Amino acid sequence: MQTSDSLVQLLVEFFDLPADTRPEEIAQPAIPKWDSLAMVQLITELQGRFGVEFDLEEIQTLRSYREIHDTLVRKGVFAHA
Amino acid sequence: MSLVDWIAGFPELQRTAIVDAAETASLAKVRRALRLLDELPKEKRGRALSVELLSTFNLEPFLPVLQLALNCIPSRADLRLAPLNDLEGYITQNTGADQSDVRVIIWRIEEVLPEMLYPFSNGFPEQLSRRTEEVINRVQRLVKLHEANAAVTPLFVSTIALPVHFSNPLFASQHAIALCGAVAHINRTIYDIATQRSGVYVFDICRWAALEGKLHADALLDFVARQPLSGRGQLAFAFFLARCLRPLLMPARKVLAVDLDDTLWGGVVGEDGLENLKLGHDFPGNVHLRIQRELLELRNRGILLVLLSKNNEADARQPFDCLPDMLLKWEDFALRKVNWRPKHENLREAAQELGLGLDSFVFVDDSDYEREQMRQLIPEVLILNTSSDPLHTLNCLWTTDAFDSLTITEEDRRRHDDYRVRTARDVQAHGNDLEDFLRSLQMEVAIEELGPANMERAVAMIGKTNQFNLTTRRHSRAQVQAMLAAPGSIGLALRLRDRFGDQGIVAILLATPGAQDCTLVVDSFLVSCRALGRGVEDALWTALMERASQAGVRKVLAQYLATPKNAIVAKLYDRFGLQPIEQGPSSTRYILEPVEPRPRPAWIHIKKKDNANQ
Repeated sequence: MQTSDSLVQLLVEFFDLPADTRPEEIAQPAIPKWDSLAMVQLITELQGRFGVEFDLEEIQTLRSYREIHDTLVRKGVFAHA
Repeated sequence: MSLVDWIAGFPELQRTAIVDAAETASLAKVRRALRLLDELPKEKRGRALSVELLSTFNLEPFLPVLQLALNCIPSRADLRLAPLNDLEGYITQNTGADQSDVRVIIWRIEEVLPEMLYPFSNGFPEQLSRRTEEVINRVQRLVKLHEANAAVTPLFVSTIALPVHFSNPLFASQHAIALCGAVAHINRTIYDIATQRSGVYVFDICRWAALEGKLHADALLDFVARQPLSGRGQLAFAFFLARCLRPLLMPARKVLAVDLDDTLWGGVVGEDGLENLKLGHDFPGNVHLRIQRELLELRNRGILLVLLSKNNEADARQPFDCLPDMLLKWEDFALRKVNWRPKHENLREAAQELGLGLDSFVFVDDSDYEREQMRQLIPEVLILNTSSDPLHTLNCLWTTDAFDSLTITEEDRRRHDDYRVRTARDVQAHGNDLEDFLRSLQMEVAIEELGPANMERAVAMIGKTNQFNLTTRRHSRAQVQAMLAAPGSIGLALRLRDRFGDQGIVAILLATPGAQDCTLVVDSFLVSCRALGRGVEDALWTALMERASQAGVRKVLAQYLATPKNAIVAKLYDRFGLQPIEQGPSSTRYILEPVEPRPRPAWIHIKKKDNANQ
C-alpha cells in the first residue's frame, strides 16, 4: 500500500512548490499554475503514478490535496486515515 | 529504438534523469529532465530543429513529453504547436521567412471523418463513399497547399489510425465503405503522395497504433481534453515521432560487423564440425536462417556487411561452400577478417580499408567477452545485442534504429557492389604507377547544377560526409535551397562513371555571393569517401572556377574548419593555390584573387552538357 506522503511529494514536484509546503496548503485556488491544462496533466500523472482510472464524478473532486487524498482512499490506494 | 544509445553523449546526470522520466512516464520527471538538459552548453545538445506540429487532437497537455523525446535525438528542438484542428488556416498563414525545419500533420478519424464511426446514421454507403472521397481530396489539397506556401520545408503527413473506441467492429471490416476499408483507402492515398513527392514523408501513426494503440488509449482524457493518450501512451507516441524525425539530423550507420559461429548458424564450425551446425527450416536453425535474411536485406539496401570471425579461414569458408541452407554468400561481405587477432584490431583495419569512420559501425557478436572488449576499446562502435541468445539478436535487428533512413536511393542499393569494385581496384593498383592506374579507370565526370533531380543525394551527402569535407556544415534541404535561391550562388554536383560502372554523385560544392561585389564564398565542399584519391575534387574545383570567372567573380573566399575527422583536406586549398589570410587553431581562411581556372587532372574526362534539371 502507498503512503499519503508520496502524494504530497508528487504534488510538490508537479507544481514545483517549496519542499516544506504543508499538505493543506495544496489547493487549486492557492496555486495559479493549477489551471485547466494542468488539471488534465495532473489526472494523467495521478492515473499513471497510482495505477488507477478515475470516473467522471471523481475528476470533479481533485481540486486539492485533501480531495485527491480522499478519492485515492476510496479507490483503495491509501489506507483510511 | 534504443534511447540509451541516443543519449550516450549526455552527461550521466542528464542521462539518469531522462531514463527515470521514460520509465515512470511522469510529467514531473519529464520537466526535471528538461530543466537539466537546459543547463547543458549548446554544443552538447545536438543541432537546432524547429518543428511545427499541426494536429486535429490536442497535443498541448503533453508538449513537455514531445519536447523531451525530440531533445533525445539529440536535438535542440523548438516546438511550434498550431492552433487545434486548424490545418488549412495555419498552412495558409505561415509562409515566408520564418520557416521551420520540418512540419508534421497529425490527424485522426474522430475529427477528419467522424461520420464513419456511425455509418448507419450517416448515409451508408453512398453518402459515406462521397465523404471518404472528400477526405482524400482534402489530403491532396493540403499537401499542395503546403508545397505552395512552404515548399522547402519537409512535410510529414500522419496516416489515420483505426480508432480504439467504436461499436459494431465486426461489420467495420465487411464492406469497402465501412470504417476499416475507408481508413485503408485514405492511408493508401497518403502512401501514394509520399511515393510521388520528394520532401513529403509518412508519419505512420496507423502502424504505431496497430502495435500500441489500445494499450495506450484513455477515453476519459479524450472526453476531458480531446487528448486520447494515457501517460505511457504520450511517451510512446513522442518517442515514435522522435524516431521518425531523427534521420533528418542523424546519419544512419553504414556497416554491420558480424561474427559467424552461433550467430549465422548454431554451433562452432571449427569444433562441432560442419554436419552438426544448426541452420535450416527447423528450430533452432530457423532462427539463424532468419538472422541471415535480415543481414542479406541490410546488404541489399546499402548497409555494408563485414565478417569478423576468430577462425581458420578454411573452416569459416566451409559452411558457405557446403551447407545447402546458407543464404548469405562469402561475397556478400564487403570485407572478411577471419583470423585470430583481436576483433577490435580487425574492425579498425576494416574501417580504414573501407574509408569509413568507426562511428559508422554496428557490431553483433554472441560472445559477452567480444562485445565488452569492443565497447571498451572502440566506444564509437554501436553494440547491437546484449546477450548471446540468437532470438534476442534477431529482435535487435528487427527493432534497431541504427540503420534508419527515410529514403533509400539507387546509390544506396548499389553500394555493396561499389565497395567490392573498389577492393578489386585496389588489388589491381598494387605495384602500378598511380597515374597509370587512374588513367586505366577511364573516369568520366559530369558536372550538374544542384537542383531537384540531385537534391536528395546532395543533402544526404552534406549530412553524413566526414572526411573529405572542408567545413562539415550539416545543412538541411531547406537551407541548401535557400542558399541556391540567392542570385549569384553556385551549387554543383559531380557524377562519376568509370569502367566499373556508374558511381553516382560523389562530390558537392556550394558557394554563395559574398558581402562585396564580385566575391564568391565557398560554403561547402565535400567528396564521398568512395571517390577519394581520384582527383574528382580537382575536376569539381576547376568547374567552379570556370563558372565563377564567367560570372565575373574576381575574388573567391574559402575556409577550412578542422574536425576530428577531416585532416585529409587540411592543405587542400594550399594545393589549389589559394592564399591563407587568417589562421586559427581549428580554422584557416583563404583567398583566391584573381580567379584563375586550374587545369583539370589529365586522367579525367569531362562529359559536356549534362544537366540534372533538364
